[in-house]
Amino acid sequence: MRKAFPPEDLARDSRFARVDRMDQIADPRAASGQGGGRPNQRLTPDRADSADAARSLMHGIFVGEIQALEGAGRTCWDFETGTDGAPFALKLDMARQCWDEARHCEISVKLSEHMGTEIGEFGESAFLYQAACNPDPVLRLTGVNRALEGLAIDVFNTMKEFGSISADPVLEFCEDWMLADEVTHVKMGSDWLRKLTEDDPERRANALEFQRVVDKLFSFGGFRGEDDESPVILARRFRELAGFGTDEIDEIAAISAEARDEAKAHRASLAAQG
Amino acid sequence: MADPHAPRPAFAPWDRRELPGSFTVEESARRAGNYKWIEMRLFEALGGWIATVPELDVKMRLGTHCYHHAWHAELWHKRLPELREMNPERLAVPPNEQMERFVEALTEPEAADLTIEKLVGVYRVLIPHKIAAYTYHLNNTSTITDAPTIRSLKFILHDEMDDWRDGEMILQSLIETPDDVRRAAERQVELETILVAAGGICGPGTLGGPTSDEQQPHQEVSA
Repeated sequence: MRKAFPPEDLARDSRFARVDRMDQIADPRAASGQGGGRPNQRLTPDRADSADAARSLMHGIFVGEIQALEGAGRTCWDFETGTDGAPFALKLDMARQCWDEARHCEISVKLSEHMGTEIGEFGESAFLYQAACNPDPVLRLTGVNRALEGLAIDVFNTMKEFGSISADPVLEFCEDWMLADEVTHVKMGSDWLRKLTEDDPERRANALEFQRVVDKLFSFGGFRGEDDESPVILARRFRELAGFGTDEIDEIAAISAEARDEAKAHRASLAAQG
Repeated sequence: MADPHAPRPAFAPWDRRELPGSFTVEESARRAGNYKWIEMRLFEALGGWIATVPELDVKMRLGTHCYHHAWHAELWHKRLPELREMNPERLAVPPNEQMERFVEALTEPEAADLTIEKLVGVYRVLIPHKIAAYTYHLNNTSTITDAPTIRSLKFILHDEMDDWRDGEMILQSLIETPDDVRRAAERQVELETILVAAGGICGPGTLGGPTSDEQQPHQEVSA
């Protein structure tokens, strides 16, 4: 088995449909889609397309959990303990994360059925797993555990609130449990980043820059932000629990706003071209 | 109520634990080091394979089992200093070169259509050998002096039995044709042959008899 496994080779059964990120975002059923024709994209039951948007988001969570599972598993395998800068305790954390992500896959499959969705009903892009392909374990952990798992905090909190206001106790209950795990994973990432780069400020700076790049990708088109134009809301309180400082959360909010403005400008440009 | 000051035996009539055991502190530490090494290799491989298997249920099971074996590695890692090995990495080694060869062969399959080969190596060869080695250790160590190892062995064996059953049931559901049966059998023969040459997960003497160091059977220490 190779020591690096490319996103295009991720193994899937025949139900799954691989699409690129742009196609995924362009899907009119998506949570980040047309929002029922209104500027307010926040995922609430009064959105005309809320059922499709929530089901699309749930499917996105499901495939995201599969890729998070695969990414944590690859970190167990790709780095030799100790010699590649991956201490034994870090690999134990990644193995623990494998179990957590496997449970999240199980929960997501059940919740998808609960919401009336079938596996493969929406496309899957491999952009989450791509963050788990960095050859430096510190950068990989920062990209996965702080950026990807950080996004998961925001998504689960949004879905939990959606479950609460749409009177779906099953959804609210499950999202809250997954949210607890994600806070743990993000904290793992924050702790390992600090520990492994304690005496290497350049490596820490590189890791944080990599996180910014990944955070911007995850904020694509204003998918995640702090205002009603974003379907997924930045979960400040849970991010603080996971070891993010206020300045770091502010920065993600700014990155998200920037991504949203860029997407708006892009759409306006396309409209002007007819 | 009985007189609280009446003398009672230190060992209740139902407590049949005994002092004698087959392993010295050093031998116990050597085995714990071999256990840690193989548990690490196994959790790493299971983690790596998750991305390579297309079957969704297998993918999720591998993720769960990956953690079980990582936790076992951690238990042995923590036990080693208690057995006077202050550098746990020193003993976290394979017992011999054949065992390294076994792990190389075990972890070689990658392609998406080789799930049977991957799972046979783990659930029909390695885990049965681990269950045997752990059970031998459990049944032969001193039930009083080595109680901490026994506690770990019991937790670990509980996981191993559950995981073996999970893996075997998945395999039975994947093996559908005579060709699948042949593939599974050939893979088992290939890996079992190497593991037998290694003498088991702790090398010669894994299940009793002389170890590679001693070439003599263990002498039971009597009270």
